[in-house]
Amino acid sequence: MKKPADTRTMNFFDCNCSYGVPSHPAFRFARTPAELLEEMDWCGIDRGLVYVAGLRYGSPVLWNELTAPDLASQPRLEPTWGILPSQTGEQSPPEQFVTQMKASGVRALWAFPNEHHYRLDGVTFGDLLELLTEKHIPLFVKLNAIALGELMKDFPDLTAVAVNQGPHSLERYLRPLFDTYPNLYLDTSYLLVEGLIEEFCERYGPRRLLFGSAFPDNCSGSALLRLTQAEIDDEAKRAIAGDNLERLLEEVRI
Amino acid sequence: MNPTNPSTLAHDFMQQGCSDDCPIIDTHTHYGPYQGAYLPVMPHEKMCHALRRAGVSKALCSSHEAILGDVDFGNAMTQQAVDREPDLFRGYWVVNPRYSDAMQRLISDYENTRGFVGFKLGPEYHTYPLDGPRYAPALEYANEHKLIVLIHTWGGSAFDSPQQVAAVAERYPEAALLMGHSGFGDFETSVRVARDYEHAYLELTCVYSAHDFSMLPAGSSTPVQLASSLHVNGIIEYMVEHASSKKVVFGTDMPWYSPHFAAGAIMFARIDDEARKDICYRNAQGLLERVRPTSGR
Ligand SMILES: [Zn+2]
Repeated sequence: MKKPADTRTMNFFDCNCSYGVPSHPAFRFARTPAELLEEMDWCGIDRGLVYVAGLRYGSPVLWNELTAPDLASQPRLEPTWGILPSQTGEQSPPEQFVTQMKASGVRALWAFPNEHHYRLDGVTFGDLLELLTEKHIPLFVKLNAIALGELMKDFPDLTAVAVNQGPHSLERYLRPLFDTYPNLYLDTSYLLVEGLIEEFCERYGPRRLLFGSAFPDNCSGSALLRLTQAEIDDEAKRAIAGDNLERLLEEVRI
Repeated sequence: MNPTNPSTLAHDFMQQGCSDDCPIIDTHTHYGPYQGAYLPVMPHEKMCHALRRAGVSKALCSSHEAILGDVDFGNAMTQQAVDREPDLFRGYWVVNPRYSDAMQRLISDYENTRGFVGFKLGPEYHTYPLDGPRYAPALEYANEHKLIVLIHTWGGSAFDSPQQVAAVAERYPEAALLMGHSGFGDFETSVRVARDYEHAYLELTCVYSAHDFSMLPAGSSTPVQLASSLHVNGIIEYMVEHASSKKVVFGTDMPWYSPHFAAGAIMFARIDDEARKDICYRNAQGLLERVRPTSGR
């Protein structure tokens, strides 16, 4: 068998990591972007697509605006924003929202429907999600697989990244979705169950898997070691480690 | 890029997937199919391969069937796994307090096994409290023979909370009590129990992953829903600092959780390589040296 690639030469781009101060912190977390970078250095992770803890546990009304300036001096960290329904006036109408994203250098969005208490569907988000689809803006979605299926039924072409799908194996729910929706992606942060990465690659190829650590929910080193030791070829590992996310962000049209 | 983590063990695991200097003893594995999820490495050969390629030298196992289904049939499945792979597997005999006939035969059934080192208790699954009287014969026997007792534990559980582990630890000082999942969510209490009782240990299965049950359409898949815990990063450092590295043991629930995912949390925790070795194999080795595996009758 061919000797596997030296993992130090791989480019890791973490699609799911966070800094900031939630009300209930992890035993160890990153208060600031600098602390997040220190953790990434410790593990050998090159770059991060980052959300601030307030975007999930607090309100995007407050934290969307604060994220980009926080990260302006950190070329290794790229900011994301959270979405809310625009009907309440808490978030600008879709066109304006995307213009604001552009002005702040934001190319990817997060949806936390359970944390922020809304339905991620066509009735609530029709205009915005159509616009995101058209502009290839990836939406990171933390939602259980049944609700995720409802979303994809309404927006089958949306570039959606399903995150935190675990720690149990959810294949009986997820495979029908991945079989059906070619723009549905999956992050690796909760693929704890042995063999899931390998079987995903076998069934779909590596194109739709993105390396994510879910730091500080989980330890960055877990998803990192898991991916480096996956029984897939080096090219697939490189794609998952960073190239796929890089491509997704390059495809954004705003 | 090169990690700043200076650990040579972390380097070995990242480059080779295992380390000659740090074998793994997995104190919490299962065997055979599980009704609630597809597990790709459930088949025997795949499970053994996955364990061995991460440097697992011993895996202490109990079949899913024994816990979640027919206890006698399931314990026989565990025996088959141990017989088939005697170098790799050691067995846990599952105790189901809901079956009084099986409880009456417990000791003689156990003594008839080959390659078993203790009991597996799943109070949460059988909705029977760990400190209730039906478990007493198993715990007394384990105490007398210094057996390893792996207990499913969860923070806030009415059946197997870390507080209930403390209650039985008080009564049975010679049994090695492994708190499976380290009383997930109530880590502070579990760590105190491990610190206060020399024979109580923190077992790491799934401790390296947050559990947000809103993400699992069927919840925790236990009869009573378990509490979520949204972050775990830093938990291993916390355990080592407050209970010491001598009180933490490695586990995966294999064929569930990848030994590499588990090892990653240990290799990149801010602890030293001696502590990593304690957790990965030394502590478990010490416990196995106290027990003579069963050899049938
Ligand atoms: Zn288990």
